[in-house]
Amino acid sequence: MLYYVLSRLGRAIVTVLMVVTFAFVVLRLSGDPATVIMGADAPPEAVDRFRRAWGLDQPIWIQYIAFFKAVFTGDLGQSMRDGRDAIVLVMERVPATLMLTIPALFIKIGVGIPAGVYAALYRNSAIDRTVMVLAVTGFAMPSFILGLLLVLIFAVTLGWLPSGGQGTLAHAVLPIITMGLGGAALLARFTRSAMLEVLGQSYIRTGSAKGLAWARVVWRHALPNAAIPTVTIVGFMVGSLIAGAVVVESVFSWPGVGRLLVVSVANRDLAVVQTILLLIAMTMICANLIVDLLYGLLDPRIRGAARPVRAAS
Amino acid sequence: MSDMSIARPAATHAPRAVTPLSVQLAMFWLALMFAIALLADVISPYGYADINLRSRLLPPAFMGGAWAHPLGTDELGRDVMSRLFVSIRISLVIAFGATIIGALIGVSLGFLAAHFRGWVEQVVLALVDFSAAIPFLVLALAILAFFGNSLVLFVCLLGLHAWERYARIARGLAISGNSQGYAAAVRQIGATPARLYGKHILPNIASTLIVSMTLAFPEIILLESGLSFLGLGVQPPGTSLGNMVGFGREYISSAPWIMLAPAVVITVTTLSVSLLGDWLRDRLDPTLN
Repeated sequence: MLYYVLSRLGRAIVTVLMVVTFAFVVLRLSGDPATVIMGADAPPEAVDRFRRAWGLDQPIWIQYIAFFKAVFTGDLGQSMRDGRDAIVLVMERVPATLMLTIPALFIKIGVGIPAGVYAALYRNSAIDRTVMVLAVTGFAMPSFILGLLLVLIFAVTLGWLPSGGQGTLAHAVLPIITMGLGGAALLARFTRSAMLEVLGQSYIRTGSAKGLAWARVVWRHALPNAAIPTVTIVGFMVGSLIAGAVVVESVFSWPGVGRLLVVSVANRDLAVVQTILLLIAMTMICANLIVDLLYGLLDPRIRGAARPVRAAS
Repeated sequence: MSDMSIARPAATHAPRAVTPLSVQLAMFWLALMFAIALLADVISPYGYADINLRSRLLPPAFMGGAWAHPLGTDELGRDVMSRLFVSIRISLVIAFGATIIGALIGVSLGFLAAHFRGWVEQVVLALVDFSAAIPFLVLALAILAFFGNSLVLFVCLLGLHAWERYARIARGLAISGNSQGYAAAVRQIGATPARLYGKHILPNIASTLIVSMTLAFPEIILLESGLSFLGLGVQPPGTSLGNMVGFGREYISSAPWIMLAPAVVITVTTLSVSLLGDWLRDRLDPTLN
């Protein structure tokens, strides 16, 4: 088990280093930062002074190390738009995003998993068919279209809820539902197929053959085994708590991290984009690490293996 | 046939003789989309960028409008149907291009990993971990922020989507293929690695790859439309399905048809490709059953 934990931890650290390297390479490839920030017609002395001040006259590998140092001390540069520290700007927006994504996560889990389990237990029933049609449609309909349809129905036609912006609790309802339904559809589909696979195994047949109550077979034997692939998807959803709202926040003009990312990309505010990229990557990596460790707890067979067997995403 | 099914009791899925109605409908819809994409110039009643300020925001025929503009017009008086046809073409071309690029990159890296093993394989696996660590939409947004936008970059960017999935599949299947008799035999005869992988292993894993491509295709359509919706994909005066939804959003209360027509096309097309992909997977792919 210790070896398993260490190898997963090692992999997570390598991935963090790669993400930071990626940010560095992309930043350098995108052009000379001195001319980008000072403008093409800045006087050469000023550009030189800027280069020296930021260490841009140093060899690239020294810059690389300095970049690492800056990232891990939280010094990610200033926003070009309002001159404040990028990290402060981003952190301010995190609560607004979590206010949407955490309730949405509860909807995804609370609706998606029971629906998938139920559909699998009553395979080919009318309820199974309904769940699957809804789930497949939910996958095919992108979140911005679902969001706009909900706006069209509940804001424009019925006038029950506001179509966008922030302020009251009512403003959060439509974005949360939009995200929750899309994720629930995905989770229901995954849970159903994981459950069907487990129900086809021989130990389930053995369980019912030796006279166990069906409920006990389902609760004790089927659900824990079906949980393994489902945990992957839930872990991915936890990892996307910050990233998952990019499109939906834009649909509803919700002032969260996602909206900030889209606006910063449009303005090419590189420091902010880079900060959000790193924040999102760290969240994902932590979530993936937790999923891998949970795997080890849930399934003793995986502990010995060098690479966990991931469900196809 | 009957004695064959008796001889193979282990087969979980008996080959279905009849194509389900949903798949037939999906095939019909996709054929229609391809026909529209091919013939967009011929069948469009107006130029997709023709502005006519005298006929702005006309409702479509089924909402009480005239048949001159069957799907209505937008805020500049451009014919929604003509724009829709051109958008279908652009979105499909981008999705095709990106799917093929993704498969090429993924399969090449997967084969490299399977052939050299050792540190090459570790590098490829580390890259797979890396792309699993960042949601693709965010990665795409970051690259667009750093490099600006152009159609070629946009297609290549979408091509990076799902490469790690192909890489994982190609690596796994190539490793197991390498240990089989036919690969050893071809190598013994003296075939170069390129010949071995291109002519012998690739055809053996093609059905799995084709299934993965049909599963990645709708995701790319959704990504493209999502990015274009955010105003960061296809740029005006060009148009695409997501782009139409994005601009139509402004008129959601006064002229919802601008947004609804492309929204329906996106949803039904991705739905059709997914249905077709699931069906193909059940029929073609022995490893995923």
